[in-house]
Amino acid sequence: MGLDKPGILGTGSPAFLTTRLDFVVNWARRNSLWPMPFGTACCAIEMMASAASNFDLARFGMERMSFSPRQADVLICAGRVPYKLAPVLRRIWDQMMQPKWCISMGACASSGGVFDVYSMVQGIDTIVPVDVYIPGCPPRPEGLIYGLMMVQEKIRGESLANHAALRAEDPLAAGRPRAGNEEVTDLTGPFGNSTHQNRVSGLVETDAIGRAEDRLP
Amino acid sequence: MTHDASSGDPLSGFDLVAAGPQRSREGPETAARHHDVPPGNPTVTALRKQFPDAVFHNLICAGDEDVVYVDPGRITEILGWLHREADQHYDHLADVTAVDYGGGKPLEVVYQLWSIPHRAALRVKCELPLDALEIETATGIWAGANWLEREVYDLFGIHFTGHPDPRRILMPENYAEGHPLRKDFPLRGRFSRAEQTRRALTQNPEDYYAAGEIAGRVPQTVEVDGGDATGEEGGGDVL
Repeated sequence: MGLDKPGILGTGSPAFLTTRLDFVVNWARRNSLWPMPFGTACCAIEMMASAASNFDLARFGMERMSFSPRQADVLICAGRVPYKLAPVLRRIWDQMMQPKWCISMGACASSGGVFDVYSMVQGIDTIVPVDVYIPGCPPRPEGLIYGLMMVQEKIRGESLANHAALRAEDPLAAGRPRAGNEEVTDLTGPFGNSTHQNRVSGLVETDAIGRAEDRLP
Repeated sequence: MTHDASSGDPLSGFDLVAAGPQRSREGPETAARHHDVPPGNPTVTALRKQFPDAVFHNLICAGDEDVVYVDPGRITEILGWLHREADQHYDHLADVTAVDYGGGKPLEVVYQLWSIPHRAALRVKCELPLDALEIETATGIWAGANWLEREVYDLFGIHFTGHPDPRRILMPENYAEGHPLRKDFPLRGRFSRAEQTRRALTQNPEDYYAAGEIAGRVPQTVEVDGGDATGEEGGGDVL
């Protein structure tokens, strides 16, 4: 009658376990995160190093770099994104299936970095929603792995109860900027050395490097 | 550091580098005063002999690089001669680019030539005033000039008449803010970041390619001689 068949704890133990659905779903999701590598610059070198044998991203569940967005779970945008590449990034994000997450790796992807110029997207969060930002120029592989583990922590806190609220996507939003005009202006304001650039669309004055003590002797 | 033109001793290339870019809109006879160095380059000598009124002046830059300023109206004639003539034979167009010195100065179009058989380099420059940014294309001489001239058009706004494909090459097709490498172009562009982001996402990446470039992705067919054993008679057996 099957009673003599051993369960997972030995003969006589039940052949099933009880668990919370949220826990087991999140456990499965976070331990098989397949990255979609969107490497455009030197950050991609560090991303490759993370996947290679010294750091071995596969230990954490990123077993396979998924070069097709259809089979990917987490988009790693590693490197600077020019405006000409913005629709490509957006389309890859739209092609990824839910649940999906996004990591902005490095200074350029997160904020434009030193490239506060006419051709560069000032942070990919104006284009796609970003879950984890990794600082660095470029970040070391430990940084990328830590960022991926932060995504795993984020997944641990998700629940199927609010799945629709977290994961619902408006089909009409495909191919459109994630941020509205005001938010883009907020996100992309000049900072650091770029404050004194003359911008036809509105000169932004701050005293960031106007102070004498900031100047090198 | 300025050079006294009346002293008579020739300028070295390093002096010219230190003196910075030279204006040369004076015309052929006046420009030939103090920029001219003793012509050691046989190409420059031959070029001056062949086109006495189209070669404005020449100089040596950075020690040993010969630069020739020529009439933009006769650029294809001069480049074609440099390419065709057996003693010159500049068969490799290494680069076409342009320089904007700002301040309303004319834009310089730069042709960097290399002669593979003679192992000689030559830089040909044309000065275009800002209100007449037009020059004839060199694609008829070197096919490789196609994309180089597209880049110069894209970033400097210089029109190449007769170009077979005068589109932008680096900036998006729908880019409407001008030509970014001009000195009067603001570093962060002319539109707001919000407008730039919105416009960027309205582009369709497939539009960058001509229709034939996408549709033409078929394996290349190889011509087979009809008289071979693989002709019509043998083909029936295989099928």
